[in-house]
Amino acid sequence: MQEKAEAQPILSMNSVEVLYDNVMLAIKGVSVQVPTGAMIALLGSNGAGKSTTLKAISGLLKAERGRISRGEVMFQGTDITEMLAQKRVEMGICHVIEGRRVFEHLTPDENLTAAAPRGMSRSALNAEKEKIYAYFPRLAERRNSQAGYLSGGEQQMLAIGRALVTQPKLLMLDEPSLGLAPFLVEEIFGILQKINQEEGMSVLLVEQNALAALEIVSEGYLIENGRVVMHGTAEALKSNSDIQEFYLGGGEATDFHNVKHYSRRKRWLS
Amino acid sequence: MDWIFLAELAINGALTGLLYSLFAIGLVLIYKASSVPNLAQGGLTMVGAYVVLALSYDAGLPLWLAIPLAAVIMFGLGFGIERVALRRLAGRPVVMILMLTLGLDIFLRGTTLAIWGGTSRSMELGVSYEPLFLGDIFVSRIHLVGAGVALALFVAFMLFFRTRTGIKLRAIADDYMASWSVGVSVERGVGLSWALASVVAVAAGVIWGEIQGVDQALSLLLLKGLTVAVLGGLDSILGAVVAGIILGVVENVGADFLDPLVGGGSRELIVAAVLILTVMIRPHGLFGRHDIERV
Repeated sequence: MQEKAEAQPILSMNSVEVLYDNVMLAIKGVSVQVPTGAMIALLGSNGAGKSTTLKAISGLLKAERGRISRGEVMFQGTDITEMLAQKRVEMGICHVIEGRRVFEHLTPDENLTAAAPRGMSRSALNAEKEKIYAYFPRLAERRNSQAGYLSGGEQQMLAIGRALVTQPKLLMLDEPSLGLAPFLVEEIFGILQKINQEEGMSVLLVEQNALAALEIVSEGYLIENGRVVMHGTAEALKSNSDIQEFYLGGGEATDFHNVKHYSRRKRWLS
Repeated sequence: MDWIFLAELAINGALTGLLYSLFAIGLVLIYKASSVPNLAQGGLTMVGAYVVLALSYDAGLPLWLAIPLAAVIMFGLGFGIERVALRRLAGRPVVMILMLTLGLDIFLRGTTLAIWGGTSRSMELGVSYEPLFLGDIFVSRIHLVGAGVALALFVAFMLFFRTRTGIKLRAIADDYMASWSVGVSVERGVGLSWALASVVAVAAGVIWGEIQGVDQALSLLLLKGLTVAVLGGLDSILGAVVAGIILGVVENVGADFLDPLVGGGSRELIVAAVLILTVMIRPHGLFGRHDIERV
């Protein structure tokens, strides 16, 4: 009962199943909760269903002929399970899709303009742009060059900046660290943390790079084979020996000459 | 060699070429938003001309009113095509959409044939047929008017693509998925590009209708328009204008040299050669967008 008295989560996803092409079950009853103002990570290996989970929330499933076949997605108390992607962006959900998909033939400045919500005045848009350039000074320098020729890190920053123009309450990022040098990952994650703290924006982060992600989030969900197999605070996950073994790359240094050889399995899968 | 005559051929070729550009701008608009060459642009142009005739001759409206009214009607038709036919195809392979536009072209031709019959009707714009002499060079007034319209549309669209709506359209052309992810309505954007292309079709239909009469042959402009669009790079309005001029000059001057040799009909050959060579040698045309590959 006490829990109910607390502020409701900004997003709650309850036992959601997603079908692609009406046959392929991509996630099987995933439940994820994002408390308002929190930073949450979805961890897991390739093809586990992390991206599908984000697309179910942002409504982008439809573009890939997927649909939610069971369960519900609630955003700030509203059922958005069947809502159009565009409507969800208007409500305040923005999804930075995987692979730094900036508008390559536009300049960074035009990339930001393209994301302007309907009815945003010119001065409000310019103020928003300046705020984004303040977060990402590298972008400000290259605001009028072609976005396709930016470096990988700059493109990722642009993709995040472009999402910020839509003024999201919940920002979802799909693998923002993919293919980036560690110092860039640190820089980008630092900025995300700053945005989260300064603007109170809730963040849902999908990452394979569990090590970096667990440093900045408060809670994490581990997804495997389309199911949530573990959920806990970042601290708890970091100290979990299975997580250490499979996602954090070892934990303590092990001398493999002295280790008895047995095949370690992901026990939670069976 | 008669230089005056050659200059006259070149200038008239360039003017005719700008009329091809007028048509090709419609193709480019749709390609920019949906990456599909619209094979129904010829049909749309013909329908545009017929709608103007229906409003002016059949309904008795003055031309200055009939043409804008036709533009409004065609604007709505463009949106309607997206709503009824294209929306279902979102996310499907491009070749399916291409086939749909082909089907649409056949449908439009059939409809105009059923409603207005096959006889050629004339479109009187009130432009004098008196030849105009620029020094020793003679040009046709209607071609000059058409070229002016093409250039005006070119400037208008260049400005349009710098506005916020224009930038959103370019964003849609770049990446559908990313556009959806930031709340850009791809459906509305594609609809708008069809609507604008349909308005361009009215302009092209009126000018070409005045030149060659309004009948089914208007839809065959597609072949030359497509050649110009491909040569220009399919997604570049500037390309469409430059390529139009080039094709017009090459066609007019080339035909003058070749016709005596092959006994006529070399215009079509030149157009075909330009199209084939462009695709073989420079597939993204003169000003076409390259796909950016970073290493």
